[in-house]
Amino acid sequence: MPAPGVTSPSCIYACTRFRVRRTTLLPREEYLRIMQMDIPGVIGYLSRREDYRQMVLDLAHDFSGAQLIEEAVNRNLAQSFQHAIAIVQGNLQTLTREYLNRWDIANVMAILRGTAHDIPRRQIRDLLIPAGELEGTTLEHLLDLAACNRIVEELQGWRLYPVLAEHHRDLGEARAFAQVENELYRQYYADLLGLAATGYSGLQELIAYLRFEIDITNMRNLLRLHCAEEACDIATIDRTMIPGGRIPVALFRRLYGIETEGEFVSVFLETDIAPVLAQAVRELRQDPEFASVDAAELIWQRWHRRRRPVHEVEMAVTRVRLHQLEGLSRRHPFSVLPVLAYLERKKYEVANLRAIARGKAYGLSPERIWQYIVL
Amino acid sequence: MPTDDIKPTRAGLLIVRRRFALAERVHRLLSMKLDGMMLELVRLTDQAARERQELEKKYAGAREMVAVAAMMEGATGVLLAALSVEANPTYTTGHRNIFGVRLPDLEPVMVRKTLDQRGYGILGTSSVIDDAADAYEELLEAIIATAELEGGVKHLLDDIEKTRRRVNALEFKIIPELTEARRFIENQRDEMERQEWTRLRRIKKIKAKRTGGL
Repeated sequence: MPAPGVTSPSCIYACTRFRVRRTTLLPREEYLRIMQMDIPGVIGYLSRREDYRQMVLDLAHDFSGAQLIEEAVNRNLAQSFQHAIAIVQGNLQTLTREYLNRWDIANVMAILRGTAHDIPRRQIRDLLIPAGELEGTTLEHLLDLAACNRIVEELQGWRLYPVLAEHHRDLGEARAFAQVENELYRQYYADLLGLAATGYSGLQELIAYLRFEIDITNMRNLLRLHCAEEACDIATIDRTMIPGGRIPVALFRRLYGIETEGEFVSVFLETDIAPVLAQAVRELRQDPEFASVDAAELIWQRWHRRRRPVHEVEMAVTRVRLHQLEGLSRRHPFSVLPVLAYLERKKYEVANLRAIARGKAYGLSPERIWQYIVL
Repeated sequence: MPTDDIKPTRAGLLIVRRRFALAERVHRLLSMKLDGMMLELVRLTDQAARERQELEKKYAGAREMVAVAAMMEGATGVLLAALSVEANPTYTTGHRNIFGVRLPDLEPVMVRKTLDQRGYGILGTSSVIDDAADAYEELLEAIIATAELEGGVKHLLDDIEKTRRRVNALEFKIIPELTEARRFIENQRDEMERQEWTRLRRIKKIKAKRTGGL
């Protein structure tokens, strides 16, 4: 084991590989080219690329059009992430596994819901993306089980099993999976933040980034709760907000009850979200004059009309968030950050290709599709 | 009793007169009902046309929202959210009475849902799923409202057709037949009265002749 403060060779090797991998992701010019193609053209383009060719050929028998593209890119994502886990070792691997655990949550919930609602196994199988710790064979095994209780029992080795078992037992036959899902995600973030004590290189920066991500997620979800027709109670806010962000949950609770512009703007400006939102809107609208106060007022406009966030602004915030992560990964080249920066970029490459395919399938204009591309 | 079987007697004339009065009253009432139903039909048709336009707009909106949801979350994400639905939307059926016509009255049940009722976890999804769910809930409501109105129009049209046939039957068949029957009976009775009067005069003359001869 290397001495504290000394970067291990395996970490340098893995980080270098991920930086190289980062360069193989699709650049902006390629997206512009793909935007000009129709769906068969996109399929042809992907089948000529080394990283997607095999998936497209394997799935071409079962799927076609946008569905083929989505399935192929999902499979590619799963393979890339599994490969990422295999490349990294030691602490980096622990952290990568922990980070990719969110895919396991999505897969486990899909299997539980599908089993509870008697959805055909094949249909559930198509929804699974084995990009996390639980491998494809494990998920296949879970799919073969007939009852939710059996599935939960089989997941005893999974890191989130205690939370799953506890809440599933409490629910009984109520089938309220939303609560279980929320608790799993809350535990997922708690586990990630809990890694702060391990002292991995770059972890402090990662934790800062995660806390910022939590803040944005909480704010977005608070807006969603506020837009609902029926007002929710404080307990719902507590159940829905993820603890551990820079903004305390108490502030979100306070924000939820505010109905005057002045108070809302002043409280919102206290958060770290305002400058990021202002930056995102500046980039989106090409408006250098857009300030934090304008961002707070923009949110207030949506808030008091009980309308959800604009998707384009959400995407712009995601772009800013990713740029911040990349900036951090450049400042800490031999840490967990280059790994996570690659994983996030890969996730959005797949999301971009999927957005293009789905947008084209629904006949949306290229300008409209371009608003949903994260570069 | 058919009009042909009515005998040209006073009783027969009374029957025909009674039937004629009834037919005229029914004809007047049915004509008024027909006018009322036509007015209601115009109102309902306008409403149904507006509702249909609204439905088309909402359908286009829902398609767009699901397109955006599929772009941002993938068809997989949208399907996963759809799988989470724990209470299926439905409707209750009732009836409302318009001029004696039973028009359908549909009430949506569990169509509009709160975030909790939708079944998906808020932390595992994004606001685009909420928007798509909202758009489809609105679309379902519009479908139910349109079905109610268009079903009402259809029922009303069927009943208007039925009533119009009855009005026409009364106006062009039953009332003319009864008028004809009444005229016939009256003519017959006049004829019989004249015959009777002639017969009586003749008898009177014969009696007078016999009395004079004695």
